Amino acid sequence: MRKYWAYLIGSVAVVVIALAATVIVGNEPVLGLDLQGGISVRLFPAGRFSDSSLDTAKDIIDRRVNGLGVSDAEVTREGDNIVINLPGVKDRDKARRLVGRTAELRFRPVLAELPPTTASTPPADDATKAAIASCDSTAIGALPSIPSSDAAADKADACVVLPGRKQEKREVRYLLGPAALTGRETSGAKSQFLQGQGYGVDLSLKDSGRQKFNQLAQESFPKQPPQNSVAIVLDGVVQSAPRFNEPNFPGDVTISGSFTQGEADDLASVLKYGALPVRFDEKQQTVQSVSPTLGSDQLTSGVAAGIVGLSLVALYMLLFYRLLGVVVILGIGLSAVVTYVLVAYLSTSGFNLTLTLAGVTGLIVSVGVTVDSYVVYFERLKDEVRTGKTVRSSVDRGFNRAFRTILAADLVSLIGAGVLYVLASGSVKGFAFFLGLSTVLDLAVAYFFMHPLVVILSRRRALVRVPVVGIASGLDAKEATA
Amino acid sequence: MSPRADGRRHTPADFYHERTNFDFTGRSWRWAILSGTVILIALVAMFTRGLNLGIDFEGGTSWQVPVSGKSASVSDVRDVIRPLGLGDAKVLVLEGDSGRSVRVQSKDINPAAEDKVTDALAQYGGVERTEVSVDTVGPTFGDQVRNNAIKALVVFFLVVAAYLAIRFEWKMAGAAIVAVVHDIIVTVGVYALTGFEVTPATVVAFLTILGFSLYDTVVVFDKVKENEATIGTVRGDSYSKMVNRSMNQVLMRSLSTSFVAVLPVASLLFVGAGLFGALALRDFALALFVGLITGAYSSIFVATPLLAWWKEREPRNQALRERSAAQLARTEASVEAPAGEPVPAQEPEPEAEPAPAAASVPAARPQPRPTSPRPTGGPSPSTRAPRPRQQRRRKRR
Repeated sequence: MRKYWAYLIGSVAVVVIALAATVIVGNEPVLGLDLQGGISVRLFPAGRFSDSSLDTAKDIIDRRVNGLGVSDAEVTREGDNIVINLPGVKDRDKARRLVGRTAELRFRPVLAELPPTTASTPPADDATKAAIASCDSTAIGALPSIPSSDAAADKADACVVLPGRKQEKREVRYLLGPAALTGRETSGAKSQFLQGQGYGVDLSLKDSGRQKFNQLAQESFPKQPPQNSVAIVLDGVVQSAPRFNEPNFPGDVTISGSFTQGEADDLASVLKYGALPVRFDEKQQTVQSVSPTLGSDQLTSGVAAGIVGLSLVALYMLLFYRLLGVVVILGIGLSAVVTYVLVAYLSTSGFNLTLTLAGVTGLIVSVGVTVDSYVVYFERLKDEVRTGKTVRSSVDRGFNRAFRTILAADLVSLIGAGVLYVLASGSVKGFAFFLGLSTVLDLAVAYFFMHPLVVILSRRRALVRVPVVGIASGLDAKEATA
Repeated sequence: MSPRADGRRHTPADFYHERTNFDFTGRSWRWAILSGTVILIALVAMFTRGLNLGIDFEGGTSWQVPVSGKSASVSDVRDVIRPLGLGDAKVLVLEGDSGRSVRVQSKDINPAAEDKVTDALAQYGGVERTEVSVDTVGPTFGDQVRNNAIKALVVFFLVVAAYLAIRFEWKMAGAAIVAVVHDIIVTVGVYALTGFEVTPATVVAFLTILGFSLYDTVVVFDKVKENEATIGTVRGDSYSKMVNRSMNQVLMRSLSTSFVAVLPVASLLFVGAGLFGALALRDFALALFVGLITGAYSSIFVATPLLAWWKEREPRNQALRERSAAQLARTEASVEAPAGEPVPAQEPEPEAEPAPAAASVPAARPQPRPTSPRPTGGPSPSTRAPRPRQQRRRKRR
């Protein structure tokens, strides 16, 4: 019994705290292009390019700005231009950065390895930033703590502090020198199996790139580790930092190491596509703000219709399960708050989630679908009660049986969501993300909120036996008339 | 509609108290014909009419026109292009350092119509015709996204089928997948028939249907699996009858879960799109609405009868059915056997699960026993004994 109170109070407390934190921090859901507008960036290709390389560039940009699949950014080709509509972004510089960020793969010399930042590391002030950018080792050494560089400070000709890719629990940051060459000076990369060394990546360079690469190799090779390494940087993350094994590379460069096939493939695709296959003219590039395509009345009517629908669901539940219907309504409320908190968090944090009209109403619909779990549970309780048990003695057994059914059904959704999330892209990926989220939420609410509340209510004889509205009446049990 | 076990017609109260006794498996050919016809219509519509794919899938034409000397609004531009047949075009008002402009994107239209749009937009912007830039626009939901989605769906079906095969059994997995495919075909068919535009939001709605339909089917199959232990504890039992029994037990929750899922969607479709005129909602609310209803239908009338039919072909279930039929014929022949005689819980049937297993299943509530020995939905008419006359009269009433 105490356990159930703990679950109930715990779950409500977690939700209340999360909501309070959301309000205090100021997280808010960001609306999509259709409802709130955003910024439209048009890229003009320069130099030589082919039709297929433009398509590839479009796909790469899409993958970058739509990472999670929930940002709902639109990337299209218009003639030879690529148009990127970024919802929810108001600041044009930010938009420029979001798109520009995708442009360049950089090779930087490693100057030092640094420990990961801790919670106590203060954010960079201007003096610290200047010291790092200056590459002055004594100035950097004198700093009390070294924060990582942010996206604005990640310039090709400056020194930066950047984190490595998170892998094998080992988190390393690097102090890196100015970029020696960029992805534009590479001509291709492929992963391959190297006899005796496992998987590796074969990197081919253009002539200008090979010159610069060999210059870097000659300078770095004699140095002590980790200074004899080159960092491959994309999007402010060191993708890999291989060591030079030779001072001179006449042909292609082979990056070996204890790669798995997957890691080698990833690195090869970063090297190949990280730099866009097409160069875009930065002077011609236009950045414009975009008006919403739908009026705000559409959102209002969508939300109003959703609320009408959910009210009907609540009414149906009350009619059918009487007092237990209140449990459903409270549960829906709880799920709704958790969804709001998560959406607000994902919108404000780096995931850039935005909600389109379809997204908003989809969330409302998904809340209706989670009511299924309550129905399965209550119907199971009815079964138990019909065998002649009291309501009180039915709840635990009924829940155990019902939860198995709910788990079986939810696992199907969860597996589906996992598969779609991993394999699909774009809006389908975003859908999978929300499906997974709402399924986990469904299970958690069933276990930590719905059942405890039902147990606690069913221990009160008065609540069980009230005629017409009582629990027993809702479960079609004889106790109601007793 | 089949009558209740005691011969009366079903009342709404029977649904609520889960006292129904419908015959779901006995007349499966009716449902097979119904589903088959609907699927045929859907497929014909898909191949003859095709789907009205939106600009996100196929690309189209884009116009961009600078607007000078006035504030541009999306709704004004819409009013200008709607008479030209671009009612569902995408309209954006852009604002930048170089001034204000309007971008219209639409599916490909014929060159003459394209020129008309160009003229209309030039007039709206108050600029020369040559200042309107017309471009082809590529799809956002292009080949790559589509191929990924298709690949993901195939894997989705395989993995879900594997899970269901492990959790239940492979025949249930098969029946569940058939039901889901049924739902998708019907829903896509409705889009082909109505010509509603398919947008990325519609695709997401299709996927929601997958999840919902599977949820419903799993709830039914969970009950069937549980009741497998009770096969043979009821006189004249067979696999189909056990499935039927399970179906009647979960009918109300199946209807309820579907109803509560459909309510918000119906509200979006009829209140949102119908009453408030939020047309953007219509395209995907329709997919959800049709899909949820076929999803509920298919878990009851496709997945379950298919499972029963499939399982009845197993030798042990065939043997059970024949034995049951013989048993029933025996009881009907012996006039002195009192109607509603309690059946011993443990029949000497080696194939049936032992009774203790049945007793451990809490939800195997006692079945309302037939007051007459009339079989409910016996599978083979040849083994069915003639009904008592009184019974027939009741049915006619």
